Amino acid sequence: MRPTRTRIALTLLAPFALLLAIESLFHTRLWERHAQPASHAGMSVRLKRALHDPVAKRIDFVTLGSSRPEYGIDHAAWATRARERGLVDADLSMPGTHWMTLGVLTRWLAREHQEIRGGIIGMAIQDFSNPGNGAYELGIVQPFRTLADTPWIARHVRFDIHDLSTWGVYSSMAEWRSDLREYLKNPSKRRESIRWYRQNITPQRTLFGNPQSKGDMCAFGLTNLSACDAIEATSDDANAGLRRQCAELRDMANSRPDFEAMLRGADVPASTARARDLVREQLREIAWREPPVVVLMPVPTLWSRDVLGKGQHAWALHVLQPLVDEGRIRVLDATDLFAGDAEECRNFFDLYHQNAAGRERLDAWLKPRLEPMLDAAAARTTASAAARRAPGKSPSPHGMMAR
Amino acid sequence: MLFNSFHFVVFFIVVLALNQTLRRWPLAQKLMLLAASYYFYGQWQWHYLLLVWFSTLVDYAIGLRMPVTRNPRRLVALSVVVNLGFLAIFKYANWLIDTFNGASTALGSAMHVTPIDLLLPVGISFYTFQSLSYTIDVYRRELPPRRNLLDYALAVAFFPQIEAGPIVRAREFLAELDGDQRIDFSDVKRALVLIAFGYVKKVVVADNLAPIADAVFDNPAAHGFWDCLLAVYAFAFQIYCDFSGYTDIAIGCALLLGIRFPPNFNYPYAAQSIQDFWRRWHMTLSRWLRDYLYIPLGGNRKGEARTYANLMITMLLGGLWHGASWNFVIWGGLHGAYLAGERALLSRWRAWNANHPLAAALRVLVTFHLVCLAWVFFRAHDFALARTVLGRLAHPQLSNFDAASHGATAVFVAALFLAQQLGAHLRYKERIAANDALFATALAGAIAAMILFAPAAGAPFIYFQF
Repeated sequence: MRPTRTRIALTLLAPFALLLAIESLFHTRLWERHAQPASHAGMSVRLKRALHDPVAKRIDFVTLGSSRPEYGIDHAAWATRARERGLVDADLSMPGTHWMTLGVLTRWLAREHQEIRGGIIGMAIQDFSNPGNGAYELGIVQPFRTLADTPWIARHVRFDIHDLSTWGVYSSMAEWRSDLREYLKNPSKRRESIRWYRQNITPQRTLFGNPQSKGDMCAFGLTNLSACDAIEATSDDANAGLRRQCAELRDMANSRPDFEAMLRGADVPASTARARDLVREQLREIAWREPPVVVLMPVPTLWSRDVLGKGQHAWALHVLQPLVDEGRIRVLDATDLFAGDAEECRNFFDLYHQNAAGRERLDAWLKPRLEPMLDAAAARTTASAAARRAPGKSPSPHGMMAR
Repeated sequence: MLFNSFHFVVFFIVVLALNQTLRRWPLAQKLMLLAASYYFYGQWQWHYLLLVWFSTLVDYAIGLRMPVTRNPRRLVALSVVVNLGFLAIFKYANWLIDTFNGASTALGSAMHVTPIDLLLPVGISFYTFQSLSYTIDVYRRELPPRRNLLDYALAVAFFPQIEAGPIVRAREFLAELDGDQRIDFSDVKRALVLIAFGYVKKVVVADNLAPIADAVFDNPAAHGFWDCLLAVYAFAFQIYCDFSGYTDIAIGCALLLGIRFPPNFNYPYAAQSIQDFWRRWHMTLSRWLRDYLYIPLGGNRKGEARTYANLMITMLLGGLWHGASWNFVIWGGLHGAYLAGERALLSRWRAWNANHPLAAALRVLVTFHLVCLAWVFFRAHDFALARTVLGRLAHPQLSNFDAASHGATAVFVAALFLAQQLGAHLRYKERIAANDALFATALAGAIAAMILFAPAAGAPFIYFQF
């Protein structure tokens, strides 16, 4: 019997419907519990789980950003300071975070933690020249994204059909593929790793602790790119990360855009213009009660001397200035915190990140500038609690939004 | 243009749409298919299209002249010389020069021939054999010469087969072209199942096994017994899935265009003897070698000794067909020896063919391992590397099995081996194509598997180099 046209159409469409069903399974977080905890996506899964833990039932302030604020800001100290004032300050910074992640994460927080009042966004001046950190940032946003985030994600990572790493822009199944492939190579190792992380990296430690770092950069000299010669001359595994960073820096040093010219009115490359617009759009979208504090993280001198474009620092400030003028953000510029310091190398454990000493120095600088924000919030909390206790008086929403 | 590229997917969808549109106008349809085939081939090296055209025109003209000439043997000889001449120049010249230079150096002579700077035209071994089959069949009066050049040109260059087979004889292709090319919905499903399975075999299986085999065969001295054993198994399934994946896609694409190709693989690792293996592996090449080489040599009609000699000659040349390297000659020679030995053994020891499931399983295992042994020479870059791999395998260190590093590969190849045995009995492709629900599930599963498990960088098909 010849099949009817309807049956033919249904038979040919059914595989695609089933494929959509498989895709939906990945969208519904099916794979998250098996994700490699040490991967970018696994790290986000861990953070999301911590944010659903009772310790994070109420969060007042957050720190967002990449590995620079993760290592550079003293989260434990800020958590303590907040706690002393009856507030909760949580660290949500993750390595690899860029503006795309900030957008997806702040939207997720707006849905799941509407009580957040404000926070710090830690970025470095080089984060203002490109719209994204590349396709690997897709892994970071995966556990937090919804379908509605797709257009935002697509504006940061260009989909290329020939590049499987970009398929994650539209497909969760494609985004989890490398994780799944790695899992199948050694499932027992993965299960062991998940168990270890569950036992050792508690939500408490994730949200309110500082990451560990070892040593400093003084053995290599940190004043110019030739410091990389000494690092690249070594071959031990301990320096593998530094050698990778050196390669990245040399790449960047080969193309140093002239931001000064752009600021004087020269043509702005499309990707730089896109980055500028996306940063402003993203920061305007954050609807915390307190304006976000953008902290420009300290950068080792060799970056400004040999790697960054001419006027890159001024460009970052130029991107942020309209938002400052609108009163939407505050900016604390710590870029040159260690510049001119004879022992700058003591504050970094690699070419990007501060160590405990650097963290302490930045904390001393940040404390007087940020503590008043906590004090004001604590005062408002006390006032609104008192108002709630007084019959017939409720706090005005406008009062809550007052700055 | 690779089958596993988006370029091909777009190209094929356009060709398929045009083919459907033009089916009422056969001339336009054939012209479109020929133009598409030349475009497809030209994507590799457009100037080597001249070779395809030359080969096509020479054999077409010889075919036309054959019935009217007094000495058709001369014409068929000319066709053989022209076709094999091109093959010799492009494929074997530098190998012969290298061999000569090596022998010359070994003998202390200063004579040295400079290698020729030539790139091997993709698919030359395949279309040469296809074209040769035409002139030989016309010479044997098994096929009337084709007067329509367009038909013949299409038989040589039809894009699904030109680069890596299957080796469809001109008479088979021309019969398809003359026959009814309409396809029904069950053909469409069968074709889509073949294409989907072909892609899964290539992208999901072969491309993921490749790094396992490559790591060991590039430096076998750095690896132990289990690494080498699993690498040999991995290569056995890599080459099977790579090549049969390609032919599945080719057969499926051709079927969607209304042309039915003969099968090229039939679960070869379920073979119970080497003879059985060659009835299941690259069947179109086996048939070609049997009909145009083994039988004309006398086959098994001229006594035991000649039969063994004919088997050996056929397999040695079959090995050499794959590539210009002594390793391929050794591979072919091993298979020749297997076939001869098997023939000798079975004529004396009939218990080996006992009709018992355990005996059958033993035969499958022995055959598979003999085939794997020969694959070592096929895969290794040179004889020394093959010897190192075999040296490792000759000293089993069973206790060195490490579940963490070997477990996944061991499970994967065991599953593939099992799938071959089950496939040979269950005929799952046919069952899937016959059932709409299974068809939809299998197609969705295949696409999902490709998205999930394809390596980031696609690799070309192994048989393109032949």
